[in-house]
Formats: sequence, structure tokens, C-alpha cells
Amino acid sequence: MTSPLNPELKRRTLVQATMMTGAALTASGAAQAAAPAEANAVRQPVKHGAVGSSLSRADGAVKVKGTARYAIEQPLARMAYGVLVQSTIPAGRIRAIDTAATRASPGVLAVYTHESGFRINRPKRDLEGGAATEVFVPLQDNLVRWNGQHIAIVVAESFEQATEAAALVTVAYEASEALLHPTDSRAHPQPMDAIKAEWGDAAAAFASAPVKVEGVYTTPREYNVPMEPHACVAAWEGDRLTVWEPSQWVGGARQVISEWMGLDIEKVRVVSPYVGGGFGSKIAPHPHVSLACIAARELGRPVKVSLTRPQTFTGLGGRPRTHQRLALGATRDGQLVSIVHEGWNETAIDDTHVEPTNSVTTLMYATPNLSSRHSIIPVNTVNPSWLRAPGENPSTYALETAMDELAHTLGMDPVALRLKNWADQDPKAKIPWTTRQLREAYAAGAEAFGWSRRNPAPRSMREGRELIGWGMAAGTYPVWRQPGEAKIILHADGRVEVHSGGVDIGTGTYTILAQAAAEVLGVPVERVSVSLGDTDLPRAPVAGGSQLANILMGAVHTAAVATRTELLNLAASDPKSPLRSARVNDLVLENGQIRPSRRPTGGVAIADLLKAVERERLEVHRDTFPTGATEAQRNAGNRSFTLMQPATASGGSAHAWSAQFVEVRVDEDFGTVRVKRMVAAFDSGLVFNPKLARSQWIGGMIMGIGQALLEEGLIDPRDGRVVNANLADYAVAVNADVPEIQTISVGIPDLQATPRGGKAVGELGIVGVAAAISNAVFHATGKRIRDLPITIEKLVGA
Amino acid sequence: MRALEYLRAPDTATALREAAQPGTRFLAGGTTLVDLMKCGVERPARVIDITHLPGLDEVTVSDTAIRIGALAKMSQVAADARVRTVAPVISEALWRAASAQLRNMASIGGNLLQRTRCTYFRDTAAYPNCNKRNPGSGCAAMDGLNRNHAVLGASDACIATYPGDLAVALVAFDATVRIMGRFERVVPVDQFFRLPGDRPDLEHDLAPGEMILGIEIPLSDALRRSHYLKVRDRASYEFAAASAAVGIALEADGRTIREARVALGGVATKPWRARAVEQALAGKPLNEAVIRDAAAQAMAGAQAREHNAYKIALAPKVVARALMSAGGIA
Amino acid sequence: MATQRAVRLRINGRDHDLTLDSRVTLLDALREYAGLPGSKKGCDQGQCGACTVHVGGQRVLGCLTLAMQAEGREITTIEGLAAPDGTLHAVQAAFVEHDAFQCGYCTPGQIMSAVACIHEGHAGSDDEIREYMSGNICRCGAYPHIVAAVRDAAARLGKGTSL
Repeated sequence: MTSPLNPELKRRTLVQATMMTGAALTASGAAQAAAPAEANAVRQPVKHGAVGSSLSRADGAVKVKGTARYAIEQPLARMAYGVLVQSTIPAGRIRAIDTAATRASPGVLAVYTHESGFRINRPKRDLEGGAATEVFVPLQDNLVRWNGQHIAIVVAESFEQATEAAALVTVAYEASEALLHPTDSRAHPQPMDAIKAEWGDAAAAFASAPVKVEGVYTTPREYNVPMEPHACVAAWEGDRLTVWEPSQWVGGARQVISEWMGLDIEKVRVVSPYVGGGFGSKIAPHPHVSLACIAARELGRPVKVSLTRPQTFTGLGGRPRTHQRLALGATRDGQLVSIVHEGWNETAIDDTHVEPTNSVTTLMYATPNLSSRHSIIPVNTVNPSWLRAPGENPSTYALETAMDELAHTLGMDPVALRLKNWADQDPKAKIPWTTRQLREAYAAGAEAFGWSRRNPAPRSMREGRELIGWGMAAGTYPVWRQPGEAKIILHADGRVEVHSGGVDIGTGTYTILAQAAAEVLGVPVERVSVSLGDTDLPRAPVAGGSQLANILMGAVHTAAVATRTELLNLAASDPKSPLRSARVNDLVLENGQIRPSRRPTGGVAIADLLKAVERERLEVHRDTFPTGATEAQRNAGNRSFTLMQPATASGGSAHAWSAQFVEVRVDEDFGTVRVKRMVAAFDSGLVFNPKLARSQWIGGMIMGIGQALLEEGLIDPRDGRVVNANLADYAVAVNADVPEIQTISVGIPDLQATPRGGKAVGELGIVGVAAAISNAVFHATGKRIRDLPITIEKLVGA
Repeated sequence: MRALEYLRAPDTATALREAAQPGTRFLAGGTTLVDLMKCGVERPARVIDITHLPGLDEVTVSDTAIRIGALAKMSQVAADARVRTVAPVISEALWRAASAQLRNMASIGGNLLQRTRCTYFRDTAAYPNCNKRNPGSGCAAMDGLNRNHAVLGASDACIATYPGDLAVALVAFDATVRIMGRFERVVPVDQFFRLPGDRPDLEHDLAPGEMILGIEIPLSDALRRSHYLKVRDRASYEFAAASAAVGIALEADGRTIREARVALGGVATKPWRARAVEQALAGKPLNEAVIRDAAAQAMAGAQAREHNAYKIALAPKVVARALMSAGGIA
Repeated sequence: MATQRAVRLRINGRDHDLTLDSRVTLLDALREYAGLPGSKKGCDQGQCGACTVHVGGQRVLGCLTLAMQAEGREITTIEGLAAPDGTLHAVQAAFVEHDAFQCGYCTPGQIMSAVACIHEGHAGSDDEIREYMSGNICRCGAYPHIVAAVRDAAARLGKGTSL
């Protein structure tokens, strides 16, 4: 591993910081400001609580005690309970909806259907500069667009009464022909020209390539299934609306809710201090939230609406089915000469979701010829949405499986083949990488795994009746960034508060922001309390795309540095300050004490200074927007995706990288695959808290086990129903499926990528895992499965 | 779930008397009944909580048999040291089922009555066509996604798999069910479960108002050398793709199979005794070739639908491996 | 038909007098009526373990238990696990120490399950812990850290420790 004290590194980071400043100056719009000089400093060995230390989770105690209040645990007087009714056909019209029995059922307060006539406005989609991830608004017409679409909501005094009454709604449909599978001949693929890539003459180069592999790689519908189902509480006070909604982004939720309701955004508050997992499914509020808002308004009572677990499979979308035809052409010594790629994902019949299957295909390896196209195919489904590493995940699955096939065809080691095709720069953007510690990742991962002891021949390793397979794959995820805001409040009683509207979805935001503030202010990290997840707090972008930690670490750092400056100014200038005779430039803030720099003792504690100058608190609000950024720009970062800058925005191509190594055991009779060991090396740049970052990484890897071996939405081809819409039949990994996992950090601070030098963490963990497992299964069995998940029926008797 | 009345029965006589009222169900662990009430499959107007009935939760092991009270918990029986010694297959079938929490709740009697996991059966809102729920209404699974459905014992009316594990072990070892209604009677477990035929709604030989008091498993050499093997995609907390309950008794030479017991789970509409396999093994030497040959007969009469043919390939291998494990040659 | 009834539930050593519909599950009784939302609803159909509580000293699922069934039995929830002075139970402390969770939503169920797993004597090896903790799904994927926390807490608590 590279030492952080490496002088070479210091030089490089300074160069990068300089380049970044240049990029910020030349980029148009709301470009990111340069990192404060402090971030460039070479780090001392990490102190307890400092950035880079393995501090335990700040929200740990409330979570293990069961006192962390998740959205629908908000205790409100006169709560009413809403239960949804969903369609049972995939396409057509509701001819009649009979709610008489429902209305007569005990405790029922209201039943709303499309006949109720409540207007819910169409929200602005993310693609149009809004925050919504689907255009669908419920109960606005009698059209059925997919099986499991919300068609009514029943509100009652109790959950039990609402549930019983909802089951009494009867619907007469006029079914129309449905389009249920993207391979249906009536389906119309829509090419996504904006993400197509072409260079050289890929077709010709492939045709004449001495070595070729070609395959079709498919992934099924996959679901986020966070343990906390999608649910909310809506409550009105006059014309002001508060929604407790488990959200990865309260700003976006507020925007969508205000659009739905036709309400001034200032009158909407969204609260989400704890989120029971999201993985992309809680980026924007889903349609049931609008019904909670309507019902609460009509009834004048707070309304709690929770999707049942089965309803979460169609009340919002997961990852769409994907399909990729991928051809690799190479020379006999393993040099790629061509990549030909064609992919699609399904989308809703009247909506758009793009799962770019070529995001890694065009990035990972150097090739003189490449052609890649991606289409979306509308079918009758809820609009699919984001699930951990959308795009990169399926893209890497196909590419890294194909590379394994190429390695096998060539008789070459899979790691060696990857090094042979090393891309010195971003092959698509044709600009340098900011940092790319992928070679280090291959080396560290292979070393820790013992890769050199691998017998490359399939079926060559076994123990008893188990075939042993070793597989590997690379992974990557881009660095998204945009400016952010933060507020720091120092109290005369010694407390330090950090405020941000950003959300901690289990990623560790509460913890690392305390670390960032404590480090600059020199106070014990335990004294810093962080408040998150509320639109009353400073604006923040979405906790998605692995961007939020980097954005908020930059913002909090900036605010903390400003706080320090204000404190020192106060100490030097206030007539009541014990240090009033000092010059501000001679003062330092260290270990929570302000003191003259030349005197090691005799400082004044921050709290004592505030008391002396008779200030109860010192409040500092700062951001990383360029000077002069307008309110509209600041709001844009909070309420839309428009400020999200791509990986190439700094003039370098900024990505996180990984190498995954896996051992599987396949029972030769049964075809059951068990993952026995996992080792992964990650280049996530500077890691703010290794303990929590490891949790993110292994979390992604474990979700990858599920993706590789278990997870598949089973869609009945007759009616589009998700027949396994529950946690027993849609199997995710349980504890017994998961082995020891070793993670290694090979990243170095990348100050061109982000202000504090971090890159992507959470999404990166899953990328490449399915390919590594699939490659290991091939190594064990000699059987290549190109269709996830790898379940018993695909291997039995392998 | 519809509104219901909850009664707690202090003794068996009261429970049986109250159960005579229409619309009444006994409630023990609740792991099947409460679940299916939420699905809308079960719609009792009254439940009688029988978990407080005295004397029905005991496990006794004599020289000739294991007797398990209907209200003994799955976890309690699985952990019983005597059961583990004389009937490993019973303990293994129990602890491989469900999860630790569910096993602490579920009673042995209720476990026998566990209903199928057919997702069409459970989806009452979308599929009125289910012969098990609404006799004569048809079967959505037949031409649907039937990966988990039965290849043995199915009929034109129903292909739903019996989901349990314990009962598979019980049919292999000639266990009996003790039932109390107007009078007490004893039924072999194998006869207790019915094939779907044209009435898949009738799953077992328990009349309305009758109660299971317990089960009895006769001890045997094969039971002592027994094993339950459960194969599934997920390593735990999942129903079987295929399972086998087996036992082997050897002749005095230690190499010849005197008697074998074999039953299959996860592949049939009821716990499936594979007598053909047993007969093929009797008197044969204990070795892998013999076992694999015999196990191939486990699928006699099997019929695949579109998505479940893999079970026909899988199940004989599960049977074979289970036998080899029991025989100490795995 | 008498579907509403007074019921006294003894939760964490304290009696709660509630009036409940007979259908109310123990989980909903805790969350919606007794003001104890620490136990979580993840699936409401016995498939995830987030609602795990102890009834009569055994770990069970609150979502498949009718509240009425628990009358007269000792119910322990996550809120009742720490000492009255707030000192964390050894399993709670181990979960924090090993970062055995992320979003925290499955955590109360994991911890209640882990306490019982140790008490049952099912924490003898990592594989045994994995098997006996498999009734609690964690979508964040904290399993290796959960195993470490249970192993560590089991060692600290020793065998046969009381709940």
C-alpha cells in the first residue's frame, strides 16, 4: 500500500490540486471551488476521531437501543392509516371500481380512487431538470399501465381496519393487450444516442481479429428491497405540509411533493433523520407519498401510508431487465483490437429509465476500435429505477465475464489480460485519469487471495464432492460531484453542532461529518453532534451516486475552517476576550484551545472564549459554491440533478476502482454454489473512516452475492405479475450465504476528484462481484452461465 | 385480515367444544395461520388459542418409540438430545427448516399442517383461479411460473408442493398421528396427507373440529442411522428445492443394506415415500454405485412442467447423497 | 362479536394496559399502541426477522404473533435490553464496536436474535452463528460484522448467561 507520507504522493497531490483549481476556473456554471489549502497537507498518523480514523458509528447507540426514530415512527395525535389497492392486470382500463363494501367496513374514513377527482400534478422528471424518478401520478385516470399499479387508497382509524377494507375493493377491468417482455416482436427499442460510443471500425476489426469471444449477457429484474418498506407520514398544519419520508434526498422529495400538490415549496417540509436502507430506491418519493398527502389534507389528520412488502415490488421499480450482446476481438497475445457492444434495458410503457449497459464497456480497457449502443424498450411495468451502481453494475458484469472468456480462450491469466489492456487514459473522453490505483488493486487483491496458486484449468481444483473455483473481475464507479453547504454552531456550553440537510442512509454521514469538524476545530469528536435529513437544515444534494460524503466533507471542512477563522478573530478583537492583545495571525486553534502560537500552554477553550465575550453561540454557514453563486443555483443543487458534474468535469477522468477475487464451491451433484472467500481491493481515494467504508464495501459485495446467485424478479409472462414479490421468494443473501470478506484500501487522496480527496465508496462495492462469482463458477465447473442469477437449474449435474 | 374473535382454551375439552362452531380455527404458533390470514387465504371468524393446553408439549422417548406432543415447539424437539441420538433425521429436518425464531413459535402439530408456498395460492388478489382455495376455479400455476412446483403426485387440478421438512422424515419412518375429535384415532402420517386429485383443497385427513394431539415415531435401526439432506439455492432460511429423509440399517457384516428408508421433500404434492428406492437397496452392498442406481428410481412417474424439470435431475442426487451420508460413505 | 378487548401486556418488566382489536399483531401492538417502535416491520409476513422480540425468554417474530397470545408472558424488546442506567447490553456494545449494521433498521431484530442465539448455545463457531442468525435479513450486508459481534459478545458473556 502506498504510504500517505510518500513524498512522490505529496508532489502529485499538489500538482493535482493545481490542475483542479484551473479546472474550477475554466468550468462554466456552478463549478466546484478549489479545495482549501489545508486539504493538501500531508497527513500525520491519524488521531482518534480525525478524518481517516476508524471511529465507531456516531448513530450507533440510538440504533442499537432502538431509539432511532424512522419515518413512520413519528408519534402524532389522531393518526389515520392508509392502505393501498393495486391493479391485478397489466394493461387496460378500470371499467368500474366498487367501494361500497369498503366504505361500509368498520373504521373506514375515506376511500379515494380515480373517480374522487383529486388533482395530483405531474412532477418534473430528473431528466427535465426536476427531481422525480417517474412521471406516474396515481388516481388521475382509469388507465392501468402495469400489474400492481396503485388504483385506490383506503384510510381508516386503524391499520387493521384499513387493511381489511382495502381487500373489499372490487374492480372490473377492460383489459387491453399488454407488452410484457422486451423481446416481444411488437416492442419498440428506442436507441439512446446520447450514450452511444464509436471509434475506429469496430465491426471490421472484430471480423478480422485472430481471437474472438462473443456472448449475450442478461440480468433479470432486481429489487432494492431495503429492510424498511417505503412508507411515510403526511401531516398538514393549515397550508403547510410536513412529510416524514424515508428519503435519500429531502430536497428532492420536497421539490416533488410541492409539484404534486401545487404547493409553494417553502410550505413543504420533509424530515428523514434515519433511513432503513435505500440503495437507490428512496432517491425520490414514489407515488404512494402523494396519496398520503392528499388523504391527510382531505381528512385534516396525519395519515400514515406504508406499502406492504409485496406492494414495494410494484409501487416502485428496481433494476430493469438488461440484455447485452458483447463481442471482444483480440490479438493472439491478448491485445484487444475491438469491442462491439449492444445493450438494452426495459422501461415503463410511458416513461423513461435508462440503465446504461455501456458505462464501463467504453471505459475500462484500451482498444483502438469500439462500437457501443444502448436502447431502452418500453413494456408494461412500473418504471424501473436505480439500484446500486445503475449502469456500471450490469455493464461490468458483461464486460468482465467476457474478459474472463477471452483469458480462457487465450490461455492467459485473467489478471495478466487486464494489465495487458491497461488504459493509460480515459479511452472515451481521451483525457488522463485523476488517479487510478487499479494496478495496485490487482496486486494487493491477488496477493491477499493467493491468486498465484490458481490452476487455470476449469474443474482442476476440488475437495471431496465440491468443485473449487477462483474468479476475479475489476470494477469501477465514477466520481460525481457538485457544491454543498454546511452550518457549524459552537455553543458556550462546549457543544459543537454540524447541520446539513443531507441524509445518512447507513453510509456513515453522521460520523464522518463530526470527524471533519472535530479535526479542524480541535475538539473531541464526541462533542460534535450532527443533525441531518431535514429540509429545515442547510441544503444538500442527493445521497446517491456515492457523491454525498465527498460533497459534505468538503462543505463541512470549509465551514469549519471559516469557524476557526471567526473564532480567532473574535479572540483577537473582542474587548472582553482574554486574548484581545494577541494578533490574529499569532493565534492557533489546537485541542479545542485558542492560544498564541509561540506559547504551548495557557490557551483559552472555545467555550470559555464564548462565555468571556458573552456569546451563547457562534454560527457559521459556508459552502463550496463558487463566489457569487445565486440562490437559484444553490436551490438547483438541492432540488434537481442539474449540478451533478460528470467524472470528466475537472479535466481529468475521476473514477473509483476495484479488483474482486472470489472462491466458490460448487457441489458437483446439486449445482449449488457457495461463496467461500472474498477478497477485494478498492481505490476509493482517501477513505474518511476505514471502519465505515469497509461496511459499505462489504455491503456491496454481499448484495453482489445475491445478484450473482439468488436474486431474480419472476414476472409471469401471461399477466406481468411479479409472482415472487416477497422476501421468501425473492431471495436475498442471508448470513449463512456470506463468508469471511477481506477488504483492502489502495486509494490515495485524489484532490482533483473531490475537495478532500475521496472517491466513490458505496456503489463501488457491488461492481464486478457478479462477474467475479460467475467467472469462479466457470473455473469450478467449466460451465459458462451468462444469465443471472446462477441458480440450481443452470448447474445441476455440473 | 378480517375481524375475528380470539379465545384462549384452558383445556382440550373446551377447545374441541368451541371448535365445533363454524368458522373456527385452532391457533398454535401462528406461523402458518396468521401468515395466511394476512394473505387472505385463511379467513376464520374465530381463533382458539390452544398454546396453553396442558400436557401437549412433551417429548418422550421409550424403548420403542418417540412420542411428541402436538404443542411441542420445533426448536424444542430439534434440540432434544435423545431425539438427536435415536432419530437424527427428525432433529435435522427440524433445524434445517425456517429460522430460529419461527422454530421457537411453530408447533409440531401445526408444522404438519403447513400449507403450500405456491405463490399463486398465496396471491388472493390477483388469482381467483386456484383449485386449492376455490375448488373448480382452475390453476394459475399449471402454465405459470412453476419452478417450485411439484413433479410428483400432481394432478390436473393442482401442482402445489408440500413445503414442510419434518413430515418428510415422518413418512419415511412410519410415524403415526394421534388425532382427537369426537373420539381419538391414530393415522399413519403417509395416509394423513392426501394427494390433490380433483380436490386439492382437501390436504389431509383431519375433519373440521379435530385436533392433532401428537405424533409417534417407532424406533428402528434405520432411524438411528438416518439423515435429512435439504438442498436449496440459499444456504439457509429457504424451502427445499429438493430434500431427502433417509435411513439405513445394515446387516451384521456392516456392508450389506438390510433395510433402507427414503422419502422426498420439495418435489411432491405431499411428503413422498420412495418405496421403489428402498426396495432396490434392500439386500444390496452399501456402495456409491448401488445407491446411485437405486436413487434413480425415486423419480418414477415424475412429470415436469415448464420450469421445474430440474427437480427431476436434482432429487435423485439428493437421495443418493443423503443415503451415502447416512451410510458413512459420502 | 367481541373483537376489541382489554389486554395487559408485560413488556420490558412493565405492564401496558391496552385495548386492542383481536387481529393486532404483537409487532403492531408494540409499534402503534405501546409506543415502542424499536421493533421493526420489514415484511410483516415472517420472512425477514426485523420484528424479533423475546416472549417467555424465546426469540419469536412479532409479526406472526397475535398480541393476545402474548398476554401473561414476559415480552422483551430492544428497548428493554440496556440496563436502566443506559449501559448497553454486551451484544449492543459489540454491534457498535464491530459496526454490525449500517441503516440500523434490521438491527433491533438482529440484536434480539443474537442475544437469544448466545443464550441458546448456538454461538459456538462462526458457521453456527451464521446458521442461527440467518433468520434476520440485513440488506445493507453487515453479516460478517454481525458474526464478529456475536462471537465477541458470546465470549464476553460466557455460557449460560441470562437474558
